[in-house]
Amino acid sequence: MSPPLELTSIPPWAVAPLCPDADLTGRHWTVLAIGDDDAAAAIAAEWNDQITAHRPDARPRVHVVDDAGAACEALDADLADAVVGWRLLLAGPAHTCLRVRARALELGAGDDEITVASTEVATREILCAHCRTITTARVELTGTLPCAGCGCKLFVYYHVSRRLGTHLGFAAAAHHRGTQ
Amino acid sequence: MMEVVDIDDAVTGIRTLTLARPDRGPLPSFTPGSHIVIEHGGGANAYSLTGETAAPREYVVSVLECLDGRGGSRWIHRGLSVGDTVRVREPRSAFAPVLRARRHLLIAAGIGITPMVSHLRSARRWGRDVQLLYIHREGRGAYADEIKALTDHARFFTDRASFVAELVAILAGSPFGTHAYVCGPGPFIDDVVALAIDLGWPPSRIHVEHFGGELAPGEPFEVELVRSGETFVVDSGVSLLEALEAQGKTVPSMCRQGVCGECRVPVRSGVVLHRDLYLSQAERDAGDAMMACVSRAAGRLEVDL
Repeated sequence: MSPPLELTSIPPWAVAPLCPDADLTGRHWTVLAIGDDDAAAAIAAEWNDQITAHRPDARPRVHVVDDAGAACEALDADLADAVVGWRLLLAGPAHTCLRVRARALELGAGDDEITVASTEVATREILCAHCRTITTARVELTGTLPCAGCGCKLFVYYHVSRRLGTHLGFAAAAHHRGTQ
Repeated sequence: MMEVVDIDDAVTGIRTLTLARPDRGPLPSFTPGSHIVIEHGGGANAYSLTGETAAPREYVVSVLECLDGRGGSRWIHRGLSVGDTVRVREPRSAFAPVLRARRHLLIAAGIGITPMVSHLRSARRWGRDVQLLYIHREGRGAYADEIKALTDHARFFTDRASFVAELVAILAGSPFGTHAYVCGPGPFIDDVVALAIDLGWPPSRIHVEHFGGELAPGEPFEVELVRSGETFVVDSGVSLLEALEAQGKTVPSMCRQGVCGECRVPVRSGVVLHRDLYLSQAERDAGDAMMACVSRAAGRLEVDL
């Protein structure tokens, strides 16, 4: 039996593509668009317009990058001299947004300082609870997949680590392994 | 029960009590920003603990005398002497430092300095980056010497304009990761929070401690308990919670200052004068619940008890 997802650690934008408006309550913004298609960049452009319409003097820092690693580097650089009032607006595939959110949380950001628009939610990163390998695959919640590290058949649990940005996977038949 | 072992009236209008166990044994440690509740004849009031937080042998509180309050502070100022015993409930934490904060910005007005003293103590012990802005009336600056001994990053103000100018500059330029802690009279807290929000601060970085003096005693009102049909009058200066307890009713309660939400009672009808800090506007508009510790009614009230 699956619990209602709003009671789990899975954010709504990781199960369905979502495109919220820019958070205009801040005073400084980093806008990060991740991905090689134009979907995220288009959202970033829209957010940039919303911010500058709201505060003509605002100078949002907009970065269009290929992957989560590059996004995290841009995030680190922007946060080095940021002051309270800073907001992160993040657009891209949900699994990369989860990674970048984890980095932002690690750097001290709060949930009310991060806005996420997801352009794709089919791909997930699954952390194997047994060998700690992360497998990236197109897989549903409560689906199964083989771990790229230990080959275990992993059950994709409805839990996302805020710290790592990965879904939790564990051996679907774990209870057999110890007893045989 | 605790014994009053010292009284300090050095700052006009503010009495500092040092309390200890009658056997002088160790007391429960507490989180910075914690308060105790001291009971008095007509009720109970919460006061921030300003002393040592770890395995203390004394609890220290400072009490501003409120002449138009319910009488708790008047009793502490005029009725208590060294050697008296008072009934005290254990420390409760509702204003703790956020340990992952990069900087702690403490903003206090008047007697609102009290919870900041234990914050400063803990910041010094653990080497945390802390900054204090403290506005008080001329000659009424409690804990000034102690603060100066605890930090080099305290600014004292006695005029509003220079305080606000400094506050705006600091709120606008606080490094990312800063958390702000605000304590003082209600309107002061509202002003500081509004300023911070306007400067882009998210709610998760703003922490407030409401100690805005005591509430006005209010007008008497009549209450009917619809389940039992009992009717009684809640006098001026007596809370609905106290009146219910006097009737032998058991209502869960904790803070008795409209903060914790424990003493919520269902309302069948009546015009409720909400004075708590717990119910949302939507819940107030629904009109079917009230906080018995602080809220009152205009005219007749029917309570679903």
